[in-house]
Amino acid sequence: MPPSTNTALSLSGVSKHYGKVRALEDLSFSVQEGRFFVLFGPSSVGKTTTLRTIAGLVRPDKGSVHIFGRDKTDAEIAGRGVSMVFQSFALYPHLTVYQNFAYPLVEEKVAKDEIDRRVRETAAMLKLDKKIDRKPNTLSGGEQQRVALGRSLIRRPKILLLDEPLTNLDAKLRHDMRAELKRLHRQFGLTIVYATPDELEALSMGEEIAVMRDGTVVQIGTPDELYEAPQDMYVAGKIGSPHMNMIRGRTAKDRSAVEASFGPLSLSRKIAAEAGEEAVLGIRPNDIRFAAKGEKGLDVSISMLEPLGDVTVVSVAAGQETLRMVLPESAATGLAPGQGASIYLDPKKFHVFRASSGQAIA
Amino acid sequence: MSNLSDLLEKLGLARKGGVDNAGWGRTLVVAIVSFIYFLPVLMIIFTAFKPQDAALSVPPTLSPTSLFGLIPDQYVFTPTLENFGSVFSRVMTAGGQPEPTGFDRFFFNSIVISSVSVLLALVIGTLASYGFSRYPLKGNDTYLFIILTTRMLPAIVVIIPVILMFRVVGLSGSYLGIIMLYTAFNLAFTIWMMKSFFDELSTDVEDAARIDGSSETKVFFKICLPQVVAGLAATFVFGLILTWNEFLFALLLTGVDTRTVPVAMNQAVSSGGRGTDWTLLASIETLFLIPVFLVTFFLQGHLLRGVTFGTVKR
Repeated sequence: MPPSTNTALSLSGVSKHYGKVRALEDLSFSVQEGRFFVLFGPSSVGKTTTLRTIAGLVRPDKGSVHIFGRDKTDAEIAGRGVSMVFQSFALYPHLTVYQNFAYPLVEEKVAKDEIDRRVRETAAMLKLDKKIDRKPNTLSGGEQQRVALGRSLIRRPKILLLDEPLTNLDAKLRHDMRAELKRLHRQFGLTIVYATPDELEALSMGEEIAVMRDGTVVQIGTPDELYEAPQDMYVAGKIGSPHMNMIRGRTAKDRSAVEASFGPLSLSRKIAAEAGEEAVLGIRPNDIRFAAKGEKGLDVSISMLEPLGDVTVVSVAAGQETLRMVLPESAATGLAPGQGASIYLDPKKFHVFRASSGQAIA
Repeated sequence: MSNLSDLLEKLGLARKGGVDNAGWGRTLVVAIVSFIYFLPVLMIIFTAFKPQDAALSVPPTLSPTSLFGLIPDQYVFTPTLENFGSVFSRVMTAGGQPEPTGFDRFFFNSIVISSVSVLLALVIGTLASYGFSRYPLKGNDTYLFIILTTRMLPAIVVIIPVILMFRVVGLSGSYLGIIMLYTAFNLAFTIWMMKSFFDELSTDVEDAARIDGSSETKVFFKICLPQVVAGLAATFVFGLILTWNEFLFALLLTGVDTRTVPVAMNQAVSSGGRGTDWTLLASIETLFLIPVFLVTFFLQGHLLRGVTFGTVKR
């Protein structure tokens, strides 16, 4: 089926191997025009290779890359309408800021006065007008970052690829640049593909997130979808902080409960698993609270307290399992390790995964 | 113990730690050592300006000036430029007229042969090293090793087959022959040297240029080459010094018209049967130093400049 016209980018079945190393394996996803799309996953899951494949720096072994409906799998790098910001910024060290900005336009043979106008416009937009005659190595990290961005934007690309652009910046600057990138995205209506290993960046910026593992996409969805309905233990463990509690157990006979080491946990539905099959039950720390008076709770003992200001992360021991729960700071005052407590796990918030494959059970 | 370290610190010979500019004491020590190293060169340069009889006088004459009476008169010589004149023209036979010695030609030969062969090696070697660095062959290291083996034997070992080959193809005594030999001679060094410079560059920068619309040719000329200017300068200077001073190949493979200065120097000094003319030798050597000195001086900025440019955080 050919991708629809407002699909900016689509990859289907893309594989790339370097010798025996599998960089990408049957990778497919598509990005709507104007979307802020995030590739999320730890380092070396193939995020950079994916971006380089889209840019044309890497030719896939199998599969195809369509850009605005056209097959660009084996097309030249130039003329794809794609530009890229590298993790290392990759500024031209021997050229000034002005020349760095001008470079893509010179290569496109844009007229000189037009180049000058656009360079100055871009420099002003990124607040670099006073640094225009400097060489990159005399600029701060944040300024280098903005030069890299400006050089990518000046060509007015249809698709902008960003490879961990904030990784090399300090925390304060990262925060500012996140806002700046969102602003640029809105201002230009650009289609952005953004690779990051940082959960916070992914969730705060991405309109759509593809969680990657071992060179392929595990799940694609909005931040809410990934948080509410992870299709895989891997996704469940990557999205959300503190991480989801994972309780190992077996499916009960009537398939509406999971037998954990500390007793059965009943579910709000029957699950599509065999009776006795090993299952993993996930519950987010936010969905655990102390049992109300008269409510049937699970008896645990408090093992550790981590006050984080407005909330406190409480670790409790239930049988062999350690569960973490997030409580408002007021609810956690007066607690001490070693104390006993009764907690309530909301059955509607349980996520059940197959222990063998890690996939969510319907 | 602490008294000693305090004393050393006061003299600028030691400091409490950390990295800082060296003190006066250390600078002085370095100056003295440098002077000892430079002394032979200085003696040659002074000898070039001495009258012939002062060259081997005992006690030796040490300075062209008495330094306001600081140096006793017996150690002072009166500087003269006469020796430099006789490099190019002098009386060859007793009672005869001064004749041209041909040294203008030999200097011209030295300059042409070394600069052309070093530049050729630089062009070929830079292209080759870029290939080795960016488009490695299967068994890349083996090829690089083989290239290096051309420099593993001393010249004296390979000279006989080279002479025979040059005889057969008629390259003996020609510019082409000696330039080709020196080019080949410099290539191994150039390739290894330039490859290390290209290896240092961030390939992301080149990929950025490709995405910005550059062809492979432009990536090389507009992006890579400007980043290794320091490497080109360093390789050029080292290659030039090696070639400029080369004696053995030049002695056996150049002819009367293509003779280089080191060979001519040897012949000028040992001919005539009057023993070694030290002042003449010293003045040829002094003139011979100048071109390499100038090149090194003008490229010094590039030689000293670092090769990493600080845009990439590794």
